[in-house]
Amino acid sequence: MLPRASRAALRRTGISRAATLSHGRRGFVQPSGADRASVMDVPSTYQGEAHFTPRSDMLGFKLEAPRREGSAKEKIRPIYLDMQATTPVDPRVLDAMLPYMTDQYGNPHSRTHAYGWEAEQAVEDARKHVADLIGADPKDIVFTSGATETNNMAIKGVARFHKEKKRHIITTQTVRSCKFLSKHSYSTNSQEHKCVLDSCRKLGEEGFDITYLPVQKNGIISLDELEAALRPDTSLVSIMTVNNETGVIQPMKEIGTLLRKHRGVYFHTDAAQAVGKIPVDVNEMNVDLMSISGHKLYGPKGIGAAYVRRRPRVRLEPILSGGGQERGLRSGTLPTALAVGIGEAARIAKQEMQRDHARISELSRRLIDGINSRVEHVVRNGDVNGYPGCVNLSFSYVEGESLLMALKDIALSSGSACTSASLEPSYVLRALGAAEDMAHSSLRFGLGRFTTEAEVDFVIKHIIRTVDRLREMSPLWEMVQEGIDINSIDWSQH
Amino acid sequence: MSAVVPPSRRAILSLYSTSLRTANSFSSYNFRHYFLRRTKEKFRQLQNESDPARIQSQFNEAVKELAVLRRSAIVNQLYGGWKLAVERTPEQPEETMTRSDN
Repeated sequence: MLPRASRAALRRTGISRAATLSHGRRGFVQPSGADRASVMDVPSTYQGEAHFTPRSDMLGFKLEAPRREGSAKEKIRPIYLDMQATTPVDPRVLDAMLPYMTDQYGNPHSRTHAYGWEAEQAVEDARKHVADLIGADPKDIVFTSGATETNNMAIKGVARFHKEKKRHIITTQTVRSCKFLSKHSYSTNSQEHKCVLDSCRKLGEEGFDITYLPVQKNGIISLDELEAALRPDTSLVSIMTVNNETGVIQPMKEIGTLLRKHRGVYFHTDAAQAVGKIPVDVNEMNVDLMSISGHKLYGPKGIGAAYVRRRPRVRLEPILSGGGQERGLRSGTLPTALAVGIGEAARIAKQEMQRDHARISELSRRLIDGINSRVEHVVRNGDVNGYPGCVNLSFSYVEGESLLMALKDIALSSGSACTSASLEPSYVLRALGAAEDMAHSSLRFGLGRFTTEAEVDFVIKHIIRTVDRLREMSPLWEMVQEGIDINSIDWSQH
Repeated sequence: MSAVVPPSRRAILSLYSTSLRTANSFSSYNFRHYFLRRTKEKFRQLQNESDPARIQSQFNEAVKELAVLRRSAIVNQLYGGWKLAVERTPEQPEETMTRSDN
């Protein structure tokens, strides 16, 4: 005997079919006749197999049953290839931090008891490790909340301290930290960093004069142009050591030597992408201020460091005022655990830098050769001699965003994390002179300490497959295959 | 000064196998592979070393690192999560999404 529910369902389907036949086409809001209302005896909670009511907004499309996620164990994570955005915390770093998150919770600024002393000792050790990594004195290091804060502190601090006499600042078109000073933030070539637009407006109102140095085709600034841009009232030059989108390394030593000749011009560099990855020495580079970020060198997020030279002394106006911690430049209680984390990360980075660099170079070569051997019309953006862990490739006739969407097993970005929410082409690549379509179709592969060969091979395989598939769908690609020069076409037709 | 007595071959081998086993117990794919590779490299370097003092110092370093690795592996096992796409076994074929309206 059939269970009651299914019997009812059978009856219902039979009846509804008869109803459809007799009425022809039924609308959604057409009332049923009273005779048919009496046979609806199935409980309202019952839903038969494949029960489905089309809604008017479905426009005749079928729907798939919602895919159910399995348990957390079955879920698959994409491969992480976005090391310029952030890096995983090294387990050894976490191990060093954990004691300060559990038992050793003292305030490092407490001078009267053992809790404070042990925390202070840990912070000072961390400071020494960070200083060793960049060839500085531990007393020159100021802990901050990250590279963004350090950039703000350095640029605004120096500019404001010298604002009576000097009102000119130089930066490059590809430096992101410049954005918060620009009063031309609406002009065509400004590089907006959404999160700091507010402070940019604020300082722009203060009337500073900003020069954006153009970069050459390979992303490197020209020393002659820099020298020509210097004015007697220039207070600060800010240049990024390693670009976060293209991996271009600026000739810091030469720039530093040039700026040293001009008295009173301070040299700031955002080295968040460089510290721990390539050898950096503040004395060799003649840098006065440097920004370091913890989470770009396998440390925790929420901590960074500023290098502020003491001899000759760099004077700046602090943003935070208060208890006078960190030489008065950055008041506020230090997060002991995070400081220990960045210290341990710096220690490991110093110890492993050579090995990491060799390995990342090898992986990067493997990735580029692997893709180049199977896909044509691939352009590498930036300088060939840049940091190998940042590979920025443009796939012609494919849109970067669609490529990103199709590659769901790989965590990539099409530029810096700050602009990835918008579909605008990368301003960094535009500044390098890349055509708009190439800037649109770029992907950034960030390789790091924990990337394996198997992952690189997986990525190569998927990229080849996806690019082929997307190009097959593209009418542009078809035209290219037929030998039509895309640039010769007049698209407007009027 | 008396000559430094280097650790015995057996002690080194035993430390090597313990380190490898610990590295292999990480549940995160990337950390597991990194520490396996690093351990192998480190002990290969130790094998090619002939100066007893340096063998001793490298051995002590490796003992210290093993302790760190052990604790890290436990934490990683506690919080380690899903598998990576590279680790997909043949039984879990990659699902392909197709449009439902054709």
